[in-house]
Amino acid sequence: MDQSSSFEDQLAGLLPRLRRFAHALSRNSADADDLTQATIERALRSRGQWQPGTRLDSWSYRIMRNLWIDMTRSQARRTAREAPEEEGLNVGEDRRDAMDAAVDLHRIMDAMARLPDEQREVVALILVEGFGYREVSEMLGLPIGTVSSRLVRGRSALLAMVGEQ
Amino acid sequence: MTDDEKFFAWLDGELGSAEAAEMEAKVAADPELAGLAEQHRKLGSRIRGAFDPIVSAHVPERLQNAVRPPAEVIDFAARKRTLRFASIPQWAALAATLAVGVLLGTLVPHGGGSPVEVEGGKIYAAAALNQALDTELASAPAGKVRIGLTFRDQAGEICRSFTQSASSGLACRRQGRWELEGLFAAPEAQRSDYRMAAGMDPNLAALVDSTMTGEPFDAATEKQAKSRGWK
Repeated sequence: MDQSSSFEDQLAGLLPRLRRFAHALSRNSADADDLTQATIERALRSRGQWQPGTRLDSWSYRIMRNLWIDMTRSQARRTAREAPEEEGLNVGEDRRDAMDAAVDLHRIMDAMARLPDEQREVVALILVEGFGYREVSEMLGLPIGTVSSRLVRGRSALLAMVGEQ
Repeated sequence: MTDDEKFFAWLDGELGSAEAAEMEAKVAADPELAGLAEQHRKLGSRIRGAFDPIVSAHVPERLQNAVRPPAEVIDFAARKRTLRFASIPQWAALAATLAVGVLLGTLVPHGGGSPVEVEGGKIYAAAALNQALDTELASAPAGKVRIGLTFRDQAGEICRSFTQSASSGLACRRQGRWELEGLFAAPEAQRSDYRMAAGMDPNLAALVDSTMTGEPFDAATEKQAKSRGWK
């Protein structure tokens, strides 16, 4: 298999997880898919910087995270603050399961969106994506203690927001 | 690490075995802490569960297409425009010959004639491709070249889209010959069943859209056009 097709195959295989991470970072599905698309485009353009043999997932997540920071900064400049839109989510096969899942996803996304960005990304990487503390500290270029303390604050705030529902 | 951080690190399986055992004992002896652990375990699985459907959901086409662009584009019309502007026709002809050779070289049976001819910087169908464009009907596919749509362009000339193996293109009637307007090759990774199911190459579809006037021919009109020598 040649390198280029293997890179694209691997990236294609990561798409579902990248979308999930994008949903964990974004306020709604449309933003999440825009972020995913931008990430893919950036990854394809920067493929020369990826070293074969290293983890493509961490590398792509880092790209997504950096793009997301850029996007939230420019969004913050554009709009002062608007309420997250109601939306229809296309997330499952069975209608009713999909509805239930969509409701809970919506609720969780709302709560995540209310976390400060630096807590949200740590919560997304560890609680949603299942990365370890050390992996996240390397991915984000942060001391492990910082990762750990942001995670404590983020998940405690989440519990206060959605714990009783 | 604060006690809080240690507690959550334990919950996340991040502590070494000695520290983990210590925290385990502490939680077991403290109902309040045990309750908190339970709440956070539930929260964790609820968060994971909420996002799970996204992983199993169908990935939108636009994202799949972003990873694997549907085709590499060799748009001869654009190339001709650029090169005409640069006025280096010899180079154009050479480049076009090479591109077509590379593209179609693998697609025609060995020993068969080249499927294209280059004349004055223009590329015309030849041999099997020319014959297919002359004689094949979309309504009655027979040979290796499959005809897609037949229609008229803005100049009123007849154009036909075709597919052969992993490449597809568009040829239009110019002075009694089939001139290639575009030829598109699927990237290596897609030269398989995937393409068969994918329908018309999006780049070809865009070229057809920009070329076509009116509706594509139906079977009867296509047959009639053939009997009139594609005029």
